[in-house]
Amino acid sequence: MLYIKCPHCGMRSQNEFSYGGDATIKRPELGKEISDQDWDNFVYNRKSLRGKHWELWQHISGCRQWIKVERDTATHEIFKTLKANEEISL
Amino acid sequence: MTQSFRLESGGLINRDKKISFKFNGKNYFGYEGDTLASALIANGVHLIGRSFKYHRPRGFFGAGVDEPYAIVQLYRNGETEPNIKATEQELFEGLEAKSVNCWPSVNFDVGAINNFLKIFLPAGFYYKTFMWPKSFWYKIYEPFIRKAAGLGTASIKHDKERYEHKYEYCDLLITGSGPSGLASAYSAAKNGAKVILAEDKSRFGGTLLTSDVNIGNQSGKEWADSIVSELKEMSNVTVKNRSQVFGYYDHNMLVMSERISDHLPETKKYHPKQRLWYIRAKEVLISSGSIERPIVFGNNDTPGVMLSSAAKEYMKVYGVLVGKKPLVFTNNDSGYETAIEFKKNGVDPIILDTRKEPHSEIIEEAKNMNIDIKNSYVVVAAQGYKKVKSADIAKISDDKEELGSVENIKCDCICVSGFWTPTIHLASQSGNKTKFNEEIDAFVPGTSKQNEKTLGAANGIYTLEETLKDSFEKGNQLSKEITNIDNKVSFPNVVEKKSTVHDKFWCVPLPKGKNYKRFLDFQNDVAVSDIEIALKEGYRSIEHVKRYTTLGMATDQGKTSNLNGLQLVSKIENKVVPAVGHTTFRPPYSPVSIGAIVGREVGKHSKPTRKSPMHSWHEKNNAVFVDAGVWLRPRYYKRGDENLFEASKREAKNVRTNVGVCDVTTLGKIDIKGPDAAELLNRVYTNAWLKLPVGKARYGVMLREDGIVMDDGTTTRISEDHYHMTTTTAQAANVLSHLEYYLQLVWPDLNVNVVSTTEQWAGAAIAGPKSREVLKKLFPNSDVTNEGLPFMGYMEGDLFGVKAKIFRISFSGELAYEVNVESDYGYFMWEKIIEVGEEFGIQPYGTEALSTLRIEMGHVAGSELDGRTIPYDNSLEGLISKKKDFIGKRSLSRKAFAAEDRQKIVGVVPLDKKTSIPEGSHLVKDSNAPLPNPKLGYISASCWSVEHDNPFSLAILKDGKNMIGEKLFVMSPLKNKIIPVEIVSSHYVDPKGERVRS
Amino acid sequence: MQKYSFFSLVKNALSNHENWDLAWKDPTPKKEYEVVIIGGGGHGLATAYYLAKEHNITNVAIIEKGWIGGGNVGRNTTIIRSNYMHDDNGLFSEFGMDLWRRMSQDLNYNVMFSPRGIINLAHSDAQMNTYARRGNSMRLNGIDAVLLNREEVKEIIPMADFSENVRFPIYGGLMQPSAGTARHDAVAWGYARQADDMGVDIIQNCEVIGFDVSAGKINGVRTSRGDIKAKKIGLCVAGSTNILAEKLNMTLPIETHLLQACVSEPVKPVLDKVVTFGAGHFYISQSDKGEMVMGGDLDGYNSYAQRGNLPTLQHVLTEGIAMMPFLSKLKMLRTWGGIMDMSMDGSPIIDKTHIEGLYLNCGWCYGGFKATPASGWTFAHTIAQDRVHELNSGYSLNRFNTGHLLDEKGLGTKTWIS
Repeated sequence: MLYIKCPHCGMRSQNEFSYGGDATIKRPELGKEISDQDWDNFVYNRKSLRGKHWELWQHISGCRQWIKVERDTATHEIFKTLKANEEISL
Repeated sequence: MTQSFRLESGGLINRDKKISFKFNGKNYFGYEGDTLASALIANGVHLIGRSFKYHRPRGFFGAGVDEPYAIVQLYRNGETEPNIKATEQELFEGLEAKSVNCWPSVNFDVGAINNFLKIFLPAGFYYKTFMWPKSFWYKIYEPFIRKAAGLGTASIKHDKERYEHKYEYCDLLITGSGPSGLASAYSAAKNGAKVILAEDKSRFGGTLLTSDVNIGNQSGKEWADSIVSELKEMSNVTVKNRSQVFGYYDHNMLVMSERISDHLPETKKYHPKQRLWYIRAKEVLISSGSIERPIVFGNNDTPGVMLSSAAKEYMKVYGVLVGKKPLVFTNNDSGYETAIEFKKNGVDPIILDTRKEPHSEIIEEAKNMNIDIKNSYVVVAAQGYKKVKSADIAKISDDKEELGSVENIKCDCICVSGFWTPTIHLASQSGNKTKFNEEIDAFVPGTSKQNEKTLGAANGIYTLEETLKDSFEKGNQLSKEITNIDNKVSFPNVVEKKSTVHDKFWCVPLPKGKNYKRFLDFQNDVAVSDIEIALKEGYRSIEHVKRYTTLGMATDQGKTSNLNGLQLVSKIENKVVPAVGHTTFRPPYSPVSIGAIVGREVGKHSKPTRKSPMHSWHEKNNAVFVDAGVWLRPRYYKRGDENLFEASKREAKNVRTNVGVCDVTTLGKIDIKGPDAAELLNRVYTNAWLKLPVGKARYGVMLREDGIVMDDGTTTRISEDHYHMTTTTAQAANVLSHLEYYLQLVWPDLNVNVVSTTEQWAGAAIAGPKSREVLKKLFPNSDVTNEGLPFMGYMEGDLFGVKAKIFRISFSGELAYEVNVESDYGYFMWEKIIEVGEEFGIQPYGTEALSTLRIEMGHVAGSELDGRTIPYDNSLEGLISKKKDFIGKRSLSRKAFAAEDRQKIVGVVPLDKKTSIPEGSHLVKDSNAPLPNPKLGYISASCWSVEHDNPFSLAILKDGKNMIGEKLFVMSPLKNKIIPVEIVSSHYVDPKGERVRS
Repeated sequence: MQKYSFFSLVKNALSNHENWDLAWKDPTPKKEYEVVIIGGGGHGLATAYYLAKEHNITNVAIIEKGWIGGGNVGRNTTIIRSNYMHDDNGLFSEFGMDLWRRMSQDLNYNVMFSPRGIINLAHSDAQMNTYARRGNSMRLNGIDAVLLNREEVKEIIPMADFSENVRFPIYGGLMQPSAGTARHDAVAWGYARQADDMGVDIIQNCEVIGFDVSAGKINGVRTSRGDIKAKKIGLCVAGSTNILAEKLNMTLPIETHLLQACVSEPVKPVLDKVVTFGAGHFYISQSDKGEMVMGGDLDGYNSYAQRGNLPTLQHVLTEGIAMMPFLSKLKMLRTWGGIMDMSMDGSPIIDKTHIEGLYLNCGWCYGGFKATPASGWTFAHTIAQDRVHELNSGYSLNRFNTGHLLDEKGLGTKTWIS
């Protein structure tokens, strides 16, 4: 079971969190014209690579905050966690 | 029965306490502290079972977890369990066990015919035959094979035992209480670290219980006892026996199963049978020791052939002789220790050592005791069928290729030692890449992957002094870094006999003209010849070899066979062992009860049950409940001998004519507050929200980003910056997370807070033409007239002293209200509604009537909003704002979503106005068309329209917009039904929506 | 090629099993092939087999990073079924059922296809209706399906929980009698052996490093064992699709996730159906060896690690006991993890790509094993004819753009919610 550092609550076991997928996907701005390709990239297309992966988790049985987690998809090692409003530096 | 193989004295058993038990129907005695295996051996029983494939006789091979043979069916306290290892099962009064995989008896087993057919049953034989005639596989061959396989028998009775879980955190978890475990635990404990020391067996001490060593002027066992009793006294240490750490998972989470009651005749009241520990450890010290590996020779599966370390353990721990005429076959000094132990107990062993001229302290001692030692000798084959009677032995050349002349010597057991294999399972499970240690001819852990360190024999360190030194130091060092305390423990004086190098010999060549089976995997009957065939046929990867031959896939998971298998592959393939590589080690280390993994969440408690505050009222009033997710909701209230159909029709009809009340507590409720609340709603819902006045509610639909409807519900503006959102019961949690996602990540600039209030409010929907009359009685001080509280209006009211929220909203299509009070007053509210409603003919109604009411109104619910439909499909396109953007809007312009002939909700009425239409049926043009018959749509919901008194259904139909008035067929091949129907509007009752506004 | 039969077994036994042929050879890669299939799993091997058998294209190489059959074909729960609601899924899978029924004979390799039937249990009337919708769809597509009531289910699987102490009572179930199981490794090996015999080169321990693409056309592949030229390349690497897509500068509607499964210790026959739980996600069958083969939910986060965590299995087995309480007393013997291509609507992709000569076969989610023959057959057709077959026309890559989705569960793009 993963051990995730919630930036608000500290180290917590994975069963307090729910997963939210790729954290680097940015929702297009509302009301802005956007190509089919860009929209598909937002809704469907995912890199999902092996290795370091920035992803979202929500501390659903804790502070209910969405957080950003950098985790290795091959080893499951977690390198870093950020609050929702902190920017990922790739 | 006399225990003819029990020594006069010695062992760690309690000879004062006799225990009676039964094996295959026969009564025996053993002592407290015995395992089933030791007690059976003491009684001279060596035939325990039959092997998987050839049904060859099986005895005992080891003395613990590595046992491949001694698998029994256990009977305990009226229950039975399959596949229990006799070497692990502690003896208790009244224990009963039976042999498995044999018929009619272990002594005379019909399946043993396979043993004579074995040349026709090599590795993979089943892939090459049983193919003709085609139908025979499933009907004849497969049932036969299935019956033959399978070891023990599962009882299909429910398990009445209880299993528990425990979550624990510690500084150091130490897995195994041998010398390395005790030393590291002791030094870590002295530094104040929180330590958990886990021992798989019932006794602490590991090899210290059986080895002839001296630590700090005590025997190994005395030293172990003193350390354990000191550790047990320390408040920072948890010492657990019968506890196996079986899995090393991510982020230093380890899981341990503690067998609390398996050694007792029955589980004590309030005690679990087993307890599963999830342990998050800062550091893990793996002190799991090593397992002796066999040397492979002809008929090496004959009962009486066993590991030499096991023979020694039976003598030293259980006071039992595995034989009275033992042969010890070894390639290293360990065999000598076993021989010495035999000799000390008055039995004369013969040692066959594959080495030419080994010299060491231990060997000297054996020589001094006048033990018969034959160097450069091997066992060629064991002789005897159900028990070893003699051994064919021969001299072997220095290059280990040529055998001398074969001689036969009498013996009743052959104790084999092919050196030691470190138990690296946990290290490997942690992700540690193992490395091959040439010196010991086995794999050891490589660089630590997680916070694990491996100590002692598990790390390939086989001298006690080195083990203790390293373990004391590691325990001290790791704990010091955590606690900042450095209480160095002084290193005790260690006396042990020095041994010399082992011979890297593991398989005896076949003598000329002989074709003995030489087994690698004893339970699955995998022999050297099977591996040879696999390689010859091109199954060359070690994984292919394993899968093709089933090597290492038995219940012992290859603990004694895998390494010899690798040796064989590397030899034939002419590769070094590490180049062949081993298969992956995965949890569990040894099999774990599924009951223990699951814990307390069984039966009624397998998932939580949520009940509304009015639940007990419903129960008292004959409600029949239905599961709605984890909620229980009244489906209908049974009167007399009404059935579901009759009751729901009555309830629905009463809503249409009088008034009904329905418990709607389960609806999700979310409180939304903040200056940007309206803006949030405007982005989340498809319709416009910026102009909703205070005191008004609005129906809204929200989409996923892919354009599919996610949920619907009403949201009410309570005050300027305060909204009350309702969701469907099923989507409540998802909608909250959805809102939080957008607020926290996408639009953090919006100043809004959301919180679930589902549990805070109890809700009752009061619906029907007389509902206003009920409201007037409930809230005499409020103006609930059509003007005072118009459709989609909201007000607060005083319900006999309880603050209530009153919403004029309707799911039933009738004039209706929803009243919410704080949950604690829910029951009170409900009783009051029933009380004041009595004069208007109020009746409670359940989900079934609710469903009828919404279906004939054409209101959509879960069966239409099934995660595959867009607003248009549900005739909700009127709610899509053209002016603003919202979540998922961009997806709606996709080709299939915008297609002219897109599916749309319609009503369906049978032409005969009588035949009920089964839900889940499909609509077709031609009921006689050949298959596949093109489907135009499906029936999403059906009811008996109480308004029209005939069946009515909703359907999602292709090009539904242009299909009104068409005649089609409803087909339900599952129910053998073809029903001619007419397509009508989905709004079957009050299409203009006048009632809700009346 | 040596024909496998009872007689060949006897004959070889009498010569001490020393004369068995190689099931497949171990060739050195040639410089160029007509078609290169990347991925020596079930689908890749089947594709090569059908290229040779149905299209007479034998100048084919299968290149495999590790050992053949080591991916999901070697780590699944062996269930074979065609009980789908959507026409595209149902008709495709039913075509596959026909191939399964004659596979042992076609391949001269006993894959032990065992049509013992699958039952999806329902725990409410609403679920019975959902299953009816699916079952009726199957029947109208010519696929066998039976809707069972509670009593009928009880007769077939009395060991399921019909007691009072049950959280989600069994209302009934949807059964596909012709569904079943097969011996997974044998499928890979059987296809490999026949493909090899028809001239296909099976190249193991050969990892793809990159692709040679120019002017929108594929020219070949760079591997750890040298460059290999080919005008047609098929990608068949479920579990590693995202990794290879990156080398092609493609981003696909696929996430890579981890799915665990486990088996109990072997016991005598007790369950002769495949059964799935309706109030959660759990499925079970008993193997010919006697092991109860069990699986359920994904671990729930993107992963390439073939190792899962216990809480997921705990969750899965909790549902197992809820469905069949007797499992409590069995012991979990072995667990493993597989890497799934989770597509964004739960259905696969078998299609051409924007690169000429590059073909894509991916996105199988949990359902790849049963699709092995149909996938191989249609992919071979797509590659050989350079156009999709009617059977895989629904499995297009651009359906995500057009909205012609095949979402059997209605869960949308959050693949980790299972």
